[in-house]
Amino acid sequence: MKKLSALALLVLTALAAAPPTGAQEAKGIFPFEFKRVDLDNGFRAYLIKAGAPGQIAYVSMVRTGARDEVEPGRTGYAHFFEHMMFRGTKKYPNYDGVTEKIGAARNAFTSNDMTVFYLVAASEYLERIMDLESDRFQNLDYSEQGFRTEAGAVLGEYQNGAYSPFSVLDRAVRETAFRKHTYRHQTIGFEADVRAMPEGYAYSRSFFRRFYRPENVVLVIAGDFDFDRATSLIHKYYDGWQPGYQAPAVPAEPEQTAPRYRTVKYQGRTLPLLSFNWKAPAWNPTDRLAVATEVLGKVAFGTNSDIYRKLVIEQRRVQFLQEGFELQRDPTVVSLTAQVTDPSDVDAVKSEIMEAVARARDRLFDAKVLADTKSAMKYGFLMGLETAQSVAFSLIQPVIDTGTIEAVDDYYRTLETLTPEDIRDAARAILVDRGLTLVTLEQAERGS
Amino acid sequence: MKTVTLAALVLLGGLFPAACTGGREAGRGIAGTITLPEAGSPFIAFDIWVKVGSQNDPAGKEGLAALTARLLADGSTRTDRYQQILEKLYPMAASYGASVDKEMTVFRGVVHRDNLEPYYTLLRNALLEPAFSEEDFARVKAQVMNYLERGRRFQRDEELSKELLYWMAYRGTAYEHPEEGYVKSVESITLDDVKDFYRKFYLRNNIVVGVGGGYPDGFVARVRRDFDALPEGEVAPVAAPHPKMTDGVKVLIVEKQTDATAISMGFPIPLLRSDSDYVAMMLVNSWFGEHRNSFSHLYQVIRERRGMNYGDYSYIEPFPRGYTTQERPVNYDRRSNLFEIWIRPVSRMSADDLHDRALFATRAAWRELKKVVDEGLPPDQVERTRRFLHNFSVTYGSTVLRRLAYRIDDAFYAMPDPGYLGMIRPELAKLTPEKVKAAIDRNLQADDMWVVYITADAEGMKKKLLSGAPTYIRYAGKPPAEIRAEDDEITHLPIPVGEDDIRIMDISEVFETGS
Repeated sequence: MKKLSALALLVLTALAAAPPTGAQEAKGIFPFEFKRVDLDNGFRAYLIKAGAPGQIAYVSMVRTGARDEVEPGRTGYAHFFEHMMFRGTKKYPNYDGVTEKIGAARNAFTSNDMTVFYLVAASEYLERIMDLESDRFQNLDYSEQGFRTEAGAVLGEYQNGAYSPFSVLDRAVRETAFRKHTYRHQTIGFEADVRAMPEGYAYSRSFFRRFYRPENVVLVIAGDFDFDRATSLIHKYYDGWQPGYQAPAVPAEPEQTAPRYRTVKYQGRTLPLLSFNWKAPAWNPTDRLAVATEVLGKVAFGTNSDIYRKLVIEQRRVQFLQEGFELQRDPTVVSLTAQVTDPSDVDAVKSEIMEAVARARDRLFDAKVLADTKSAMKYGFLMGLETAQSVAFSLIQPVIDTGTIEAVDDYYRTLETLTPEDIRDAARAILVDRGLTLVTLEQAERGS
Repeated sequence: MKTVTLAALVLLGGLFPAACTGGREAGRGIAGTITLPEAGSPFIAFDIWVKVGSQNDPAGKEGLAALTARLLADGSTRTDRYQQILEKLYPMAASYGASVDKEMTVFRGVVHRDNLEPYYTLLRNALLEPAFSEEDFARVKAQVMNYLERGRRFQRDEELSKELLYWMAYRGTAYEHPEEGYVKSVESITLDDVKDFYRKFYLRNNIVVGVGGGYPDGFVARVRRDFDALPEGEVAPVAAPHPKMTDGVKVLIVEKQTDATAISMGFPIPLLRSDSDYVAMMLVNSWFGEHRNSFSHLYQVIRERRGMNYGDYSYIEPFPRGYTTQERPVNYDRRSNLFEIWIRPVSRMSADDLHDRALFATRAAWRELKKVVDEGLPPDQVERTRRFLHNFSVTYGSTVLRRLAYRIDDAFYAMPDPGYLGMIRPELAKLTPEKVKAAIDRNLQADDMWVVYITADAEGMKKKLLSGAPTYIRYAGKPPAEIRAEDDEITHLPIPVGEDDIRIMDISEVFETGS
């Protein structure tokens, strides 16, 4: 359930006309040759030449995630449904058996906004894979017994990390910052809902009917293969898929008007954790504020920032300081997390951080800091473009948030024009008390 | 079955094919280097191997090798303060880090060729001109102590159960302690200890420089010359561990507040990557428990058919932090291995079934192991797994850094050409069901086992184990008759343990000291 960083995306665009092996600045062109295929039923595919000879990455991106779980008692179903997608069809009752034969590395993940399925295999298996994947997206067939069994596995997954202080903190932040919007729950779902899943068979079928539709899925194939042949295969295997996507009415989060504070007691052992969160806009490649918000996190709180230097390196009053300013499909929160070395120093550290926040609103960051940040993003992206899978994965966010990969060009144009004033404006718009949720997690009396 | 050359395999893995061949030969051209030239690549990867690991930690200072490496990777140099290093690395989006295992320490990083010179300067200074500042030491040690006192005990029970399995199996050997050390031992480490350790082991004849990717002509020779500025010295060899097979079943139960039980079990096996049985055992293990693959047999039995947990796997080589990745780890080379079964946390379904379910999962895994030991793999399963691995193993060397790291592994094990990645396919092709069975007979058994549980109410768990009572599980629906028939056998499978075979420990005692 990983969240793809917006950083990767930013830099993608920075590549522009450079050949894949170069790092020269140029504008507006994705570095790899690609082709877009649109079918009448709304299905879209991107074909990209990248990666090693003889290999392909086949990535199906479903624009449905935990955010789409709007019905009470049904949190966790996007992720649960990801599991069910491996339970076979009438044509291929044993999905795993087929992928095993071709030796594919394959898996899937779910997060707030997406469910992504992928296989990496030899190019010679392209048609086999397309047959298999198009079949399960259209004709998934599983028994109630299989469904109930899988529900147990999902509960097991819930338990894997549920007691970590970071997981406890994440749940508290979501439930405090969001009152209506579905970002209120973790992708895995509320525990009670996960435990009730065995009874949800009929609901799971409706989930498939509503969301697993051609208008809601984008396929990205990256690797070494022939575009024309792939195009005709896409028609052959996906043309018959019936449209019928029903967009859920995801409730808008009411505007926050006052800061929210919460303290959580942790039953194990931990040093105190502080999580600062501010309401922020949706990811938008043409909106200066949205793009500047993501940059703000790095310049104000990243490893090169004044506050990081002071608290982590010089005074060592926090074990770490981590910014998370990546935006999402819907308006979300951006966050800053710190672990305080001395529990008696919690209030003082809070004050230090709030002072840094105030300074970010007042100051103009140095132009070099901004330039270095753009450079970091560019090289961060370049270094990620090594395999067919990593190239395809670098496109997940634009696909999920806009349905296209072309959005990266818009994003880049916006980023290039940002000035220190834009960053300050973002700080003034985002880092405000009325949008703040501050959660403190502390060890209960004597942690066991 | 077609065989492929190493060069072809390497090409399959990465975006930027090697323009020149003979990397291995080139690597041998300069003593103390291992190279993997891929001239078309915009990346340069470093995998710098220091022949020192946690086995070299002095008694009472367990964790010193790891702390030393971490201070080098996260500390100031005589040229730059730590914060200046971060500033310089930032626009390159590059970093370097250290990984310390029982036998080896590796410093690793990748950089875009545009930034090679400034990056290499930082990396070189970190390893050759460390400042050993008190401030850096205090910061790094505090972070490690936080992990030892809290994080290791409270973040991932499943990872902790694996570490405890190794701790039990290697008692009395140089592999006994976890690489990061114990709370008390790391607490006692001083900056002088770190400096001494560095002086003793970071010697020019004890470091192999690995460089791969699109580096310029003459670069490797220059790197090697830089490292040759280190003094030469003698490093006393550490005896290879010879862990004793446990006599019967030995159980450790860690008491912790939890709603799910983490389970690890295993025993020493006489198998290394360079052994003739290796590929046969790789196939057996892949069929039985391929890491995070749903066609793993254990996974099918425990998760797919019964929905008891998130996954069930087995290992013939170490696989730390398997919960974070599907990629095989590189540079965890050892002279002794365990056969290890990882049963991911088994959740309670009702107030009273936490232990029943954990024991059911244990019995189910044990029963499958017994079947493999007694019967071997049917020919069709050998064929099926051979075909899977033939294709799947191509993904092992997916990046230039991984391909380079495999070469370092080859050097550790003195693997003959074409090395590990190149030998998998041809060796798979030679396997027969008989050879596979013979390898099973030489390496596996199902009588002697170390078992670790992390669970609530450890005393209750102990009583249940000693009682030998059957442990049933309930299903959310009605399972097919064959599953229920199998369950009857599983629930009654004996786990032969006595009072003296079970040790209970509170989570707060775990890895506090070495005793």
